[in-house]
Formats: sequence, structure tokens, C-alpha cells
Amino acid sequence: MTSTLLLEGLGKQIQPPDGPWLFRDLQATITEPTIISILGKSGQGKSTLLRILGRLTLPSCGIMVLDNKDCSQWTPEAWRMTVSYVAQQPMMLPGSVTENLQAASNLHQRIFDVKQARQWMEQIGLDHLDWEKPAQQLSGGEKQRLALIRTLLLRPAILLLDEVTSSLDAVSKQATEGLLRDLHGRMGTTILWVTHDQEEARTTSQRVWFMANGQLLEDTDSQTFFDSPESDEAKMFLSTHPVVAEAAERVR
Amino acid sequence: MSDISMWFAFAFVLIALFLSTWQKLGMGKEIVIGTVRCTVQLLAIGYVLQFIFHSDSYLFVALFVIMMVTVASWNASRRGAQLKGIFWRILLSFGLTAVATIGSMVAVGLVTPTPQYLIPMSGMVIGTSMIVCGLYISQMNRETETARGEIEALLALGASSRQAIQGTLRRAVKASMIPTFDTMKTIGLVQLPGMMTGMIIAGASPIDAVRYQILTMLTFSSAAAISAVMISLLSYRLWFTNDSMLRQDAE
Repeated sequence: MTSTLLLEGLGKQIQPPDGPWLFRDLQATITEPTIISILGKSGQGKSTLLRILGRLTLPSCGIMVLDNKDCSQWTPEAWRMTVSYVAQQPMMLPGSVTENLQAASNLHQRIFDVKQARQWMEQIGLDHLDWEKPAQQLSGGEKQRLALIRTLLLRPAILLLDEVTSSLDAVSKQATEGLLRDLHGRMGTTILWVTHDQEEARTTSQRVWFMANGQLLEDTDSQTFFDSPESDEAKMFLSTHPVVAEAAERVR
Repeated sequence: MSDISMWFAFAFVLIALFLSTWQKLGMGKEIVIGTVRCTVQLLAIGYVLQFIFHSDSYLFVALFVIMMVTVASWNASRRGAQLKGIFWRILLSFGLTAVATIGSMVAVGLVTPTPQYLIPMSGMVIGTSMIVCGLYISQMNRETETARGEIEALLALGASSRQAIQGTLRRAVKASMIPTFDTMKTIGLVQLPGMMTGMIIAGASPIDAVRYQILTMLTFSSAAAISAVMISLLSYRLWFTNDSMLRQDAE
């Protein structure tokens, strides 16, 4: 299940050829299963980066290599099944909860692992859900979790999560984080996680990508990032979130 | 109709011009251009048709049909100006629709293969296809935007572009065919179609006129279905990039 991902000189320009760059010259390597939090202020291109990695948006420049094969050598379908993106706005497919859960197996003519689906639904606090209910009628938080499980059933090696806990209450959020940690531990899934919740980033991730000034400014293990960030931008970023700063202080 | 009474017909335009000026609608230029183009185009086509009918040559019939298909394709493709290669796809689907429908009518002896039948019937079939195709393209442009989230959710699950756009495509094809079938439901009750009216005015019995009208309406239904399905199959990839990403409007 372990996949390696290499990013070289990745950049996205807004309105080429003369527009400003959202970010550029992004270099990073993932060689072993990791949970990475992507942090930064709004508008730094974190979601765009995830969409580029999930091959839903074209980068303006740069190279992406997955398992030693350049992205041009992958079909978009195979790439997306390995590096799977879950959007912040959970989009339900037409039909019931079951139909949404079965989406991946229907698309790829695989057998639907109902046992696994049920177990994950339970773990994430959705065991009460009527599977025959039209998915559109679910609450925001239910949709968000269902969309996540729908993608997990694809069993991707790398998960791209765009603020997937943003509509969840504290309990559901903890359950979701628990599931993702569990998945990472048991199946070696790499998780790239865009979040605005620094507490979540601190407790869940092993590594942090901090984006600022159109660059990947820091790529370091999360304890180092939260305890002694290198750049002024990161220090400023952390200090604007007193709750987390205090939590970090307590840990120290 | 005598030449003099023909000239009197232009009095109707004067009424329109008068109303436009009086009510300050600012439509004067539109009315004049519309009148001139309509008169010149129809007169020219009248002479061309007369020539073709007299020559009784299939070559001219074919050329005329090709001209109609080309103009109709150009007109329908304007709605999808951002879609590279849409013109040729429309041209192909119109051409095949015309050949399939008119060809089968000739084959089963519903119409005699003379220019007098082939040209007007082709014109009506291509006209229907043009409306259907234009609607399909506008609908797809709208639908791919409104269903962007759904399409991308499917792509992110590893769906092929065909699988991801299937639902959208079906809705667009359906919407583009609805007007044709709605017309079929009310025809004769709400509007008397041009061809039938024309035949009656020209002296044919209403029953004869109606029989031909039924034939054309039934042909329209298959023309609408064939052209909508064909253009949808030929064109859906154009809404995606080579990487099977859904295009942004600006791209």
C-alpha cells in the first residue's frame, strides 16, 4: 500500500501568462506512509495544491512522480484511484446512502465490501443512518463523513483531505480523526490534510507543510513546527491562534 | 400571386417600422436588415431551387444538402465556440441524421427520390437537428457548471470522463429533445405547421397536406433523437481536458 510521491518545481499561476503565482517552486518528497497537515493562511493555495495532486486541476509548471512513474505515464483514472481527493464541500451523488457507498465499486466493477463500509460508518458515528435514505437529505456533517467513507472504500494509497472535518461536532471530529489515524496505522495510508484547526494538525499529523508567500515555506515534523517554527511567517501564524499556542505551552 | 400583390406585402414591414418609430423601440435597423435578408435569401433560393428542379441532377441536390448542413452546423456551433472541433462533430451528426432519415424514407418508398421532395425534406430534418444541437450545447454548458461538483466527485473516485459525465449528458440530451416532442403533442391544436399551410394555400387537399405533415413530424422525432444522441457521443470529451479534467470556462 506504500506509495512514494515526488513533487518538483510545482507551481500554479493565476491567469497565465502574466498573472501572479499562487505558489511556485514547490519541492517535496513522501517516501513512507505519513500524515501531513498542510497549514497556512487562507488564499495560500492549499486547496489548489490538493486538487493538483488529485489531478483535478492542472498545475502551471512542475513534475509529479508517483511510485517512480511520471504523472504523464499514469492514466488519470489510475492516478486518482491511488491519490484520492475528498473535497471540503461534500458532494453527494444522486441516489441513496447505499448508492453513494457503492459508487467506487460500481465504477470499477468491484465487489462492494459491505462489512467494511458498515464498520467504518459505525466507527465514524454514522451507525444510526438509514442506508436507503436519499443522500441529499443528510445533514452537512453526515454528508462530509459519508463522502470520506465513499473515498476510503476505493482504498487509495494516498488520501487528499480538504478540511473534511470542518462541519463536524467535537465528538464526530474525534471519531473521524481516530479512523484516519487507524487507517494510517493499519493500512499504511498516507494522508495529506488541509486544515485550519491547528489542534487537529498537532495531535494527528507527523509532518507539517506550511505554505506562505507563495511557497512551501516549511516542511518539517510537526513537533518541531509547533515547538520551534523557523520562519517568522510560521511564528506569526501560530501566535494568532492563542488556543493552540497555549496547548503547545502546556505540552512543553 | 402577382408581382404587384407581392410588392404590397412590404406594407407589413412599413407597419412594423411605423410602430417601432412611434413607440421608440429602436428596432428600425433590425427590421430593415431582417426584411432585406429574408427577401434576398428567399428569392435567391427560389431561383436556385428552380434551376435544380429543372436540371434534375443528383449532384446539385447533394451540393444543396451539403450547403444546408454546413450552414446549420456553423449556426449550431456558435453556441459552443469554446469547444475545439465542435463544428466538425456537428457537421458529421447532421450529415448522418439527414442520410439516415431521408435515406430510409426513400428506401421504404415514403417519398420519391426527386429534388422536389429530397431538398425540402432534408431542409426540415436538418433544421430540426440544428435546433436540437443548439439546445444540447447550451444545456451542456450550463449543466457542466451546475453539476461540476458531482462530475468532479466521480472523477476523484477514478471514474472515466464518460462515467463522470453520464448523468449530465443524459439530462442535456433529454432537455434538447423536449421541444420537438412538445411540438408534436400540440401540433394542429395550437399551431398549423408551415409546410401543411403552404400546401393548402397552394391548392392541395387538407387531407393530403396533413398526411405529409404527419410524415414530417414523425421524421422529426427520429431526426431529433439521432442528432442529439450522436452529437452527445461525439462531443462529450470536449468538455474535458486531455487529462480528463473538467474544463474551466476560461480554459
